[in-house]
Amino acid sequence: MKVLIVEDNQELARNIRDFLGREGYICESSETVEQAREKLGLFQYDCILLDIGLPDGNGIGLLNQIRCEHKDSNVLIISARNAVDDKIVGLEKGADDYITKPFHLAELHARIRAVYRRKNLGGANIVEFNEISLNTDTFEARVVDVLLDTTPKEFDLLLYFIVNKNRVLSRQAIAAHLWGDYTDNLANFDFVYQHVKNLRRKISAAGGMDYISTVYGLGYKFNSHKQG
Amino acid sequence: MNLTTKFTLWYFGIMLVVLLIGGAIVYYEIQWKLNEVEVARHRRLNDLIAQQIEQGGDYTGHPTRKRATVTVIPADSMPAGGRSYYTRGFAWNPEFQTDEYKLVVTSFYTIGEQHYRISTYSFIPSFFQMLPSVVNSFKWILLVLLILVIISGGLISKYILAPFKRTMRVIGAFDLKQKDALRLPGTQTSEFRELNQFLLKMTDKAREDYQSLKEFTENASHELQTPTAIIRGKLDLLMESDIRDEQAVLIAEMQNALERLSRIHSSLTLLTRLENQEYQAGEPVCISHLLREALQAFGELIELKSLVLEAHIENGVYVPLHASLSDLLLTNLISNAIRHNVPPVGGEWLAGGGAGPIGGEGKGFIGVQLTKEGLVIVNTGIEPRVPTQELFERFKKGNSGSDSIGIGLAIVRQICDLSHFDIVYQYSNGLHQLALAFRPNVPASKLLQNLALALQVS
Repeated sequence: MKVLIVEDNQELARNIRDFLGREGYICESSETVEQAREKLGLFQYDCILLDIGLPDGNGIGLLNQIRCEHKDSNVLIISARNAVDDKIVGLEKGADDYITKPFHLAELHARIRAVYRRKNLGGANIVEFNEISLNTDTFEARVVDVLLDTTPKEFDLLLYFIVNKNRVLSRQAIAAHLWGDYTDNLANFDFVYQHVKNLRRKISAAGGMDYISTVYGLGYKFNSHKQG
Repeated sequence: MNLTTKFTLWYFGIMLVVLLIGGAIVYYEIQWKLNEVEVARHRRLNDLIAQQIEQGGDYTGHPTRKRATVTVIPADSMPAGGRSYYTRGFAWNPEFQTDEYKLVVTSFYTIGEQHYRISTYSFIPSFFQMLPSVVNSFKWILLVLLILVIISGGLISKYILAPFKRTMRVIGAFDLKQKDALRLPGTQTSEFRELNQFLLKMTDKAREDYQSLKEFTENASHELQTPTAIIRGKLDLLMESDIRDEQAVLIAEMQNALERLSRIHSSLTLLTRLENQEYQAGEPVCISHLLREALQAFGELIELKSLVLEAHIENGVYVPLHASLSDLLLTNLISNAIRHNVPPVGGEWLAGGGAGPIGGEGKGFIGVQLTKEGLVIVNTGIEPRVPTQELFERFKKGNSGSDSIGIGLAIVRQICDLSHFDIVYQYSNGLHQLALAFRPNVPASKLLQNLALALQVS
């Protein structure tokens, strides 16, 4: 997947580039609206990560251009301004999703995948990994052919794991993914633990491999190389 | 009482005083003038009679003598100074057979060697006879003036106060958030011009301050969130590198602190935005629907903690609130009820709270009741260490050991203040009870009472 990162902060852009690079994505970044315009004039991108506040202009303006010339690109707005207005304006102007700083890179990745699935796979929204398959339309998870009795949060969690497979996911990142911001809730880690435990139990019960392992002190990891 | 009525009343009062004084002046002026004219006439008549005597001849029966008395007096009776004087008073008028006001003018003459006293008299209208007509005429004047003042007061004030009223309308519609300066109508009246200039200055300043405050919040938000995002990203990347266990613990602790920082920051930014009234209520939102959704979203957490949930939700409860705020409000309240939920020890609450069918022994309980009047949420939990009302303050926690940052209720209260909802928090019988009244006529404490009654009955 080809990704354009329009972000004026180089460090942040590098974080994203490093993280997505390991997924095999080709990432390019531009720091200004002008640079972004040049790049967009020359190349096609599958996904554009757009910061709203840029030194030489507002990202929303760029969004208009993208929507005219690059209809197939997915646009994900990155903003530190979590004002509801910005969110609405961004989505109305044709952005596909919106993420506010500070975000976990795994969350960003999950959002990119979700947007990509919605747009590019023509309705067949199946995410597969070995014997596990997830239907993101019906929220059904299967191990081979056995339907897993997952709760919505467990389904969400499994999808998050598979999208970010082989990565250490911190409890904070998982909690933020499952319950979002604003809950003033730091004690959710118990719940993360419970959800992960239940999910592992259900997959094992259905005959699936227990790919999820605990990473000492940090969180969890979906290990794709695990052999039975 | 409006300005015009006040002015009219004052004018009426002033008019009354002026007319009273004016009436008295007119009355005495007429009286005096009448007297003066009459006295002058009689003096002339007296002079005429004196001339007739000087000329000699018989004038008895002459019209001049009709009301005259001519007396020869001794020289020593002649007054030293004035040659004439007058007296007046009531006397019998034989012609009209009634007592009337009589004016007698007496003059002294020396003709040849003789001294004469000549008196003439006439009956004139008295003070008292004239008083009613004076009063009457002033009554009519007063009436005409009053009508004119009322009519003109209405018309003129409408004309004069028009710019003022226009200004009031513009000010009434003023919104701190509006981008353009206030547009006030022009006026010829210097006071109103001054007022308009003053208002313009004031609103411009207010708008500027608001704008800069808003910008500051946004900048602070932006400038702080970006470094936080960088640190978080670096930690995410660091986690994936080859690290030892003790390093992992360090990273996890950093992650925790960072999480806290980020949440405190976003909550404070949110509070500022709420205080700035940036979220105006639009269409009323269906809170019944939102509450069901929120409970469903938290359903798994409730189940994980093995809490007993009892929800009574009335359908179609609409509340004028910004949609995102309603979400925030419910999320905060429900997550609080779950997070701080501690099952009663050995069924203690059941014993203390009287009859309570809810919550089996050793299980936590959450009760949610939504009616058109308000929302009540109760949950089992340990007694807070500080008075419950103080829990609405920022960074106040009932339990200093807990992992929360203690800002959720501050946000809840801010939203309630913004929407003019009454909110009460109580702790009794092992239950945290939080009531939120949507309508000003039903206080939140009343909702709690109703709930207590319902619990007793069931």
